[in-house]
Amino acid sequence: MVLPLKTKHASETQDSESRRKIVKFTVVEKTQADHVGRTDLALFEEAMLPHLDAAHNLARWLLRNEQDAEDVVQEAYLRAFRSFDGFRGSNGRAWLLTIVRNTSYTLLRRNRAVDITTTFDEEVHAAGHESVSPAMILEHAEDADLMRNAIDRLPAEFREILTLRHQEDLSYKEIGDILKIPTGTVMSRLARARARLKEYLTT
Amino acid sequence: MDGYLDGELDPITSQKIEQHLRDCRKCKEAYETHAALAHAINRGASYYKASTELRQRVQSSLRNAMGGTTAGGTVRENHMLGTRPSAQRRLVVREIPWTWLGLAAAIMLAAIIGSNLLPRLRQPTTDQFLATQLIASHVRSLMANHLTDVASSDQHTVKPWLDTKLDFAAPVVDLSGEGFPLIGGRLDYLDNHPVAALVYQRRKHFINLFVWPATTDANKAQKAITRQGYNLLHWADADFNYWAVSDVNASDLQTFKQLVEGQVPHR
Repeated sequence: MVLPLKTKHASETQDSESRRKIVKFTVVEKTQADHVGRTDLALFEEAMLPHLDAAHNLARWLLRNEQDAEDVVQEAYLRAFRSFDGFRGSNGRAWLLTIVRNTSYTLLRRNRAVDITTTFDEEVHAAGHESVSPAMILEHAEDADLMRNAIDRLPAEFREILTLRHQEDLSYKEIGDILKIPTGTVMSRLARARARLKEYLTT
Repeated sequence: MDGYLDGELDPITSQKIEQHLRDCRKCKEAYETHAALAHAINRGASYYKASTELRQRVQSSLRNAMGGTTAGGTVRENHMLGTRPSAQRRLVVREIPWTWLGLAAAIMLAAIIGSNLLPRLRQPTTDQFLATQLIASHVRSLMANHLTDVASSDQHTVKPWLDTKLDFAAPVVDLSGEGFPLIGGRLDYLDNHPVAALVYQRRKHFINLFVWPATTDANKAQKAITRQGYNLLHWADADFNYWAVSDVNASDLQTFKQLVEGQVPHR
């Protein structure tokens, strides 16, 4: 930040004629830069706006609150746009969801760091719930409010993995890439998430 | 159970679980409950679509971010929004602080390094994908009672049969003297080619040797992969690609490879 000051100083010492030249030069350049920028924005929007629903859905389940979800989506799109140059993959949705997730966690951590992971003793707690029948589950599932309440009680790491698997239909590999965990962990975490949800739905 | 439910298991484990569910009532009930739950989540959990207002908000914030760049003057704002310096670099060199040029150079350097590294990074993925196909084919051949299309320990029976079915003449060698008797041959389709699958036996184990013509730019380096308890060994000569897949140990497979290499006629 020292050098720009120097430049400014240098231009100030020049005579008015050459200063006028610089001004003229700059105007032309801006028109061109504007053109370049708009094309990039169009490309970005074409690639990423189709995933707006997926981005919002993930943020909404993670944050459990519409206002926060919208803020996170907006911030995530800005972040994505900034690093769009670095995106060379073919899976734009997974790439965007990674950013949405990271942005959501920033907010979750800032607001209330309590519920991100589970410290519950699931092995002990899940025991004795084997007698649930498929009919019982299906009966409860018709009720969207009940389902939402049950999912909202889960820790964030369970909410996100259920969303990615059941609503976005992503493979274990894709989920592992987004959550930065091996596919074996994806499988075991999904199993724990489902077991806990089953318990919440039926108790 | 969850891996099975999600269709994410390898064919062998999947088959085992399927078999077990047929035999075990308790597990079958547990599975049905689990499947009902998965169905319930699919149906019951609301999908929160973005509102039109959110869409407009996102679009206008992106435009504002662009505006910060194009309305110009506020270099600091540009930096915060992280919009590309490279677009302006060439045009307004005199107004741009040197730190920006450094950043632009770093981005370009990263892009160059990235574009050089990318093909190399992709290579393992291609191999992994092929390895999956190879194992699947090997497993299927043992599972579905379709090990061979032509069952013969005579290389002079197997080779002509394959030659009539394929557009290349795969080398077939007999290694029965070395403890790897030829069982037969089969047609298969891998990596977008029709391929010859030669089946050899090692004690109670089978080895599938997949052969197809080598492309000129193909990677000739030997590769050994171990996955899901199977050993895969790849090599190539001037004419052909070879992939041997088996549950025999790696050193037996290596011996097998050397024997095949020793007997395949070279140009």
